[in-house]
Amino acid sequence: MAASKLQALWNHPAGPKTIHFWAPTFKWGISIANIADFAKPPEKISYPQQIAVTATGVIWSRYSTVITPKNWNLFSVNLAMAATGMYQLSRKLRHDYSSEAAVAKE
Amino acid sequence: MGSSFRAFLNSPVGPKTTHFWGPVANWGFVAAGLADMKKPPEMISGNMTAVMCVYSALFMRFAWMVKPRNYLLLACHASNEAVQLCQLSRWAKGNGY
Repeated sequence: MAASKLQALWNHPAGPKTIHFWAPTFKWGISIANIADFAKPPEKISYPQQIAVTATGVIWSRYSTVITPKNWNLFSVNLAMAATGMYQLSRKLRHDYSSEAAVAKE
Repeated sequence: MGSSFRAFLNSPVGPKTTHFWGPVANWGFVAAGLADMKKPPEMISGNMTAVMCVYSALFMRFAWMVKPRNYLLLACHASNEAVQLCQLSRWAKGNGY
């Protein structure tokens, strides 16, 4: 019984034999790369790149709930992108604007 | 001329649909990559750039296979693939590979 369920999943038109599975699954790599980069110094963060990650994450999170069928896998991966992107942006903004304050005091 | 534009506006992957604006958002990666080409290689994230190279390769295939076929998404990821490979080579050279 379990074997046939697994077989059904395995042979699904959006299953692991297809690009419909691997492309969205690999998209998690973007959030994972971002999390790895949390350890990097804020000077190395790229504003354009993180804005792109955040904007993509926000827009696609919205769209994955309005397509048919709703795609919660796509929703969750894009939510993670938006969250990690926003965190990286906040790190860099805090660094840039608090240093300015420090320089201004001098 | 006007009618082909109208056909685009009403197409199943046109600007009235979600299939359009998602890919438009993804062009942000291309724009960001191009902007970052001017920066020194020390600023490039090897993690993110390598991931982008695989990600865009996969999504080029996805855009081709999805129904309806999404040429805008395909173009976006083809461009991103090029930009990210360029950045990856700049990063690699900057890191002694």
